[in-house]
Amino acid sequence: MNPGRPHPLTVAIREIADIFGRMGFGIAYGPELEDEFHNFDALNVPPDHPARDMQDTFWIKDQPGKVLRTHTTAVTSRELERMAKEGRTEARVIAPGKVFRNEATDTTHEAQFYQLDGFAVGPVGTVTLAHLKGTLERFYREYLGEGVKVRFRPSFFGFTEPSVEVDAWFTAPGKEGKWLEMCGAGMLHPHDFSSVGLDPKKVAGFAFGGGIERMLMVKYGIPDTRLIHAGDIRFVYGFEKKTA
Amino acid sequence: MKVSLKWLQKYFDEPLPNAQEVADAYTFHAFEIEEAEGDLMDVKVLPNRAADCLCHRGLAKELAAILNIPLTRDPLREPLPMWDVGRPTLRIEIEDPKKCLRYMGAVVKGVQVGPSPAWLKEALERVGQRSINNLVDATNYVMLDLGQPLHAFDAHRLVERGGACSIVVRDAKDGERITILTGDEYGLTPERLLIVDGNADTPIGIAGVKGGSVAEITNATTDIIIESANFDGTSVRRTAQALKLVTDAPLRFQNRPSPELCAYGMQAMLELIQKVAGGDAVGVVDAYPNPATLSPVSTTLSRINGLLGSEFTTQEMQDVFLRLDLPCKVDGETLTVTPPFERTDLLIPEDLAEEVGRILGYDRIAPTELPPIAGTPDQARYRGIERMKDQLVEQGFTEVSTQSFAKSGDVYLANPLDATKPALRTSLDENLADALERACRIAPLVFPPGQTPKLFEVGTVFPTAGEYLELRMTEGVPAWGKDAPTVDNLSIAKLEEYGKGYELKRYTLGTYQPFSAYPFALRDIAVWAPAGSDDGCTKSLIEQEAGTLLVRCDLFDTFEKGGRVSYAFRLVFNSSDRTLTDEEVNGIMAKISATLTKKGYEIR
Repeated sequence: MNPGRPHPLTVAIREIADIFGRMGFGIAYGPELEDEFHNFDALNVPPDHPARDMQDTFWIKDQPGKVLRTHTTAVTSRELERMAKEGRTEARVIAPGKVFRNEATDTTHEAQFYQLDGFAVGPVGTVTLAHLKGTLERFYREYLGEGVKVRFRPSFFGFTEPSVEVDAWFTAPGKEGKWLEMCGAGMLHPHDFSSVGLDPKKVAGFAFGGGIERMLMVKYGIPDTRLIHAGDIRFVYGFEKKTA
Repeated sequence: MKVSLKWLQKYFDEPLPNAQEVADAYTFHAFEIEEAEGDLMDVKVLPNRAADCLCHRGLAKELAAILNIPLTRDPLREPLPMWDVGRPTLRIEIEDPKKCLRYMGAVVKGVQVGPSPAWLKEALERVGQRSINNLVDATNYVMLDLGQPLHAFDAHRLVERGGACSIVVRDAKDGERITILTGDEYGLTPERLLIVDGNADTPIGIAGVKGGSVAEITNATTDIIIESANFDGTSVRRTAQALKLVTDAPLRFQNRPSPELCAYGMQAMLELIQKVAGGDAVGVVDAYPNPATLSPVSTTLSRINGLLGSEFTTQEMQDVFLRLDLPCKVDGETLTVTPPFERTDLLIPEDLAEEVGRILGYDRIAPTELPPIAGTPDQARYRGIERMKDQLVEQGFTEVSTQSFAKSGDVYLANPLDATKPALRTSLDENLADALERACRIAPLVFPPGQTPKLFEVGTVFPTAGEYLELRMTEGVPAWGKDAPTVDNLSIAKLEEYGKGYELKRYTLGTYQPFSAYPFALRDIAVWAPAGSDDGCTKSLIEQEAGTLLVRCDLFDTFEKGGRVSYAFRLVFNSSDRTLTDEEVNGIMAKISATLTKKGYEIR
């Protein structure tokens, strides 16, 4: 019998899990139908923030306070909460999972996609922005290939301060190298800790998050993100064969 | 925010570097540049800086700090005049100081409405704005320069009582109506904040969003009331969205500029009007119930370096704050910054660390690997799920991924994107059945003859009882027993034990090869092969002759009879840009047959 094939996203997440596993990161899960607290409040997104508007977030009929999670940072929030309960001051976790945004679809956007969120937390001073850079540089180098460099640009996210945009220098086969926007990141905002019972005077850490489909598209030259979750086996078999 | 380099230059004596250098300065130290062409640059101002940087002054200030060149003049640091209230020509009343934080009104008499001078027209046109008349242009110019939205009413269109006009800021009454400058009429509800002619109790504007047509500036206007106000960001945003009037003014108010800015906007506006339209300001009235204040923010050298992972010195940090014009006191290790009124974003010590990091440059942060962590990272549940997938792939199953939205279900979205799929799936069943149907149709493209698709998906489903992770297969695995289930709830399965220590199968994928959107054509060919040939060289002959439209060629039958060997191949043709016709495919087949015959094959 011929073996079947796993979905390319499965293949990607295995590589991601392996690389982060070697840097000490575990994997965590959380609900896709999330509460407003873990998706927004705990992450310093104020009650009247535009991100909570109907045009950005899917809300649930007859269930006020429930949303389809807009980022797997909601899992980060749950994991920080668990740290507080278990009295831990150190953790490294990634959360790959499906997220939802109420936005029009095109070749680079879908209303549902997978996000890789991750964080590292430790006693104040032990996890810094420099560690974020080192961690992501190693990750992108191992995932996309040698020669990958990482740079930061200033950015803004409610749940990180400072916040940065992360670009990776990537050379696709047969093409010229260029800087590609890969994810958003930063140092976790003190609010993220205090809202779930951790003391921001004692712990600090970084967090990052970006679309997994985007990484796939960059790495394999996939032209349209909508191919990925269309339930079409031609996509699953659409990659030049290489043996493991 | 569209920025003109020429406009920015107004803030500097020194010539600015070229557009590329300016763009890089912003990109790596402040904001992304969405687009740049010639004199124009579209700067994507970050949300936390939209209070002070949606204007040329704010962006010039940033540039001065980044490039470390002095600003020639800063309108927000100039002393404000002691405005002469004069005769009481205007009364202002704010109903709810939470919705209107400040309202300054000025009466200017004897203005001359007309075309703007060339420099003003040109300045606005350079950033993509249309020139209307000198008064309207002046309000736009000051807003784009300093960030303060302004409005001008024709004073004669307001009712005077006791020699004074009256402006009231209040909630709309249910059913109240207003016609705005565009000529459109809107019915209102109490969530909308209005500017009202207090003496007549008629609305003359939707606060922070759009002026009413009743007090519109016309060529006949001689006396005006200038509004420089600050309205609550949330209220303005909701109104602008509800009425679909998201324009420059609401965009600025929703980012909550400091109410202190009103006075500087008013000062600049009165000066500019004097210049372009003449007239006399006969009085400025200021309703400002709760003046805004910002608190000093303190941090330490080690805290900033401990966050950034840097080794910056106190001197370097002090220099950053000096360049940003943020008054800073140093006491030993402690740095205390007192933010100027417009920097409403500086609230906690981490905000100061960000200023240091971005101005000195994140390229100065050296990548550092995390130290090893004690214990094995917990990936057991993940590995358990993946082990299930590995088992199925081994049994010939192909994994698919489908969408979570469904035609019907137990949980419905309050705001579905696709009206035909307003629910969340309760099972993977329907999507998987669809995927299988399609897979069967296109199977010859991906599978050799005789292999039928077997699919599975792992995904979250949302029944009433609560979401869980479902595993579903399109058929059972014979080797696992006739009654082995084809669906499993992975949220209750004990996958942690199953996954602990399991080494996942690794796959390496090559470059993606897009598939055709057009139908494929199938042809079989069976031949008696001449002596000395085998299936491999036969296949090569076929492939050579068939050309690029042949996407797949599989041997599906071989047998021997009377010392001769017969091979049967299935050929799949597909074009990336058209539907192939029968004639075209038959033509190719005829060519293949002819060539094979010539080489000693006998077509069966």
